[in-house]
Amino acid sequence: MSPGETEEELISLAKEGDRQAFSQLVRCHREGVVNVVYRMCGDANLADDAAQEAFIRAWQHLSGYRPRSPFRNWLYRIAVNVARDVLRRQKETLDIGELPVASSERGPDEVLEREERGERVRKAVLSLSAASRAVLVLREYEGLSYREIADTLGIPMGTVMSRLNYARDRLRRSLTHYMEL
Amino acid sequence: MTKHVTNLLGAYLDGELKGRLLRRVEAHVAQCAACRGELEALRDLAALLKESPPVEGITPPERFVAQIELRLSPRPEQPATQRALEMGWRLVPVSLLGVWAFVQTVFIVTGMVQVALWAGLGGDIAAGLLPGSERGWRLSDLFRLSEVGLRDAGQILLEFVRGGGPLGWAPAIYAVLLVLIGLLYWSWLASWWALHKRSRLEIPNSAG
Repeated sequence: MSPGETEEELISLAKEGDRQAFSQLVRCHREGVVNVVYRMCGDANLADDAAQEAFIRAWQHLSGYRPRSPFRNWLYRIAVNVARDVLRRQKETLDIGELPVASSERGPDEVLEREERGERVRKAVLSLSAASRAVLVLREYEGLSYREIADTLGIPMGTVMSRLNYARDRLRRSLTHYMEL
Repeated sequence: MTKHVTNLLGAYLDGELKGRLLRRVEAHVAQCAACRGELEALRDLAALLKESPPVEGITPPERFVAQIELRLSPRPEQPATQRALEMGWRLVPVSLLGVWAFVQTVFIVTGMVQVALWAGLGGDIAAGLLPGSERGWRLSDLFRLSEVGLRDAGQILLEFVRGGGPLGWAPAIYAVLLVLIGLLYWSWLASWWALHKRSRLEIPNSAG
């Protein structure tokens, strides 16, 4: 964010059609949005495209943004929906087992082991339903509070809690082997 | 030992519990080895989740921004009529409050003037200005009720109602106006609340 310009100012400029202001907002929130869609899709290429798509949608719907909730949460909401759409489109062709493995350079066994564990975790997260995954990603990787998750996804707090419990329970069962190490 | 708090352990770990619930979970965990084990497992899971590799091989930030800039369509200008409608919509409560203040002022001033006139403070000029001063009713007519029989009292009341009372129809009009303003105001609030709720739940779902 450039000095002297708050996020609110940038949003209001962007709402009036200022592309530079919007680009500034993209710079500020790129990492978070990419991370959310990556955790939702599990593939870097898909995440790249989905993140761009999310920002394009945000630009198109910017007039609908109300500063009652943080801009970041509003973006995450769009990002989660874009990721869901991408997954829906890819559902017939994409198999979790076929997802590209994150680049791994040959190294000591410990490093390989850690990478393998990371991959297993990634795939376990991807095996969750999109609804549970969205809650888990926003909590575990983005650190949103339950209230923020509820606002972002438009669901009650109780649902956030139950989906999170369900997701954690599933993950614990599928990652038992790695948790015992 | 109290009932297990398995379903609350996640929220406890996330720091989402407060007050009585927090104390309950803390007290239970302190004395229950099974729940302590569950809590430990949740902590391990959180640590394990963090081991999932971050995204790699994506477009560098500046190129990412440039690609988005290329795809940004010119924002369609909001039609002037829609802008005017939106502005009008936002001004509704202010206008209603203004009308309410106006009605209140008019009624209070009118009431004060009429009471003053009925009290005889206006002299002969006042008599001509009073509603139905010739044919209508005065407050003193009401006091006569105690001196007449039932039939006469009924007659007096009937005429009183027909004539609108010493203040004319002003109280009735005033009440109707207030109810009307109140209804409009609450209707506006209700629709604002409904729109607010809908916009909160509305998720931009489709591009374009």
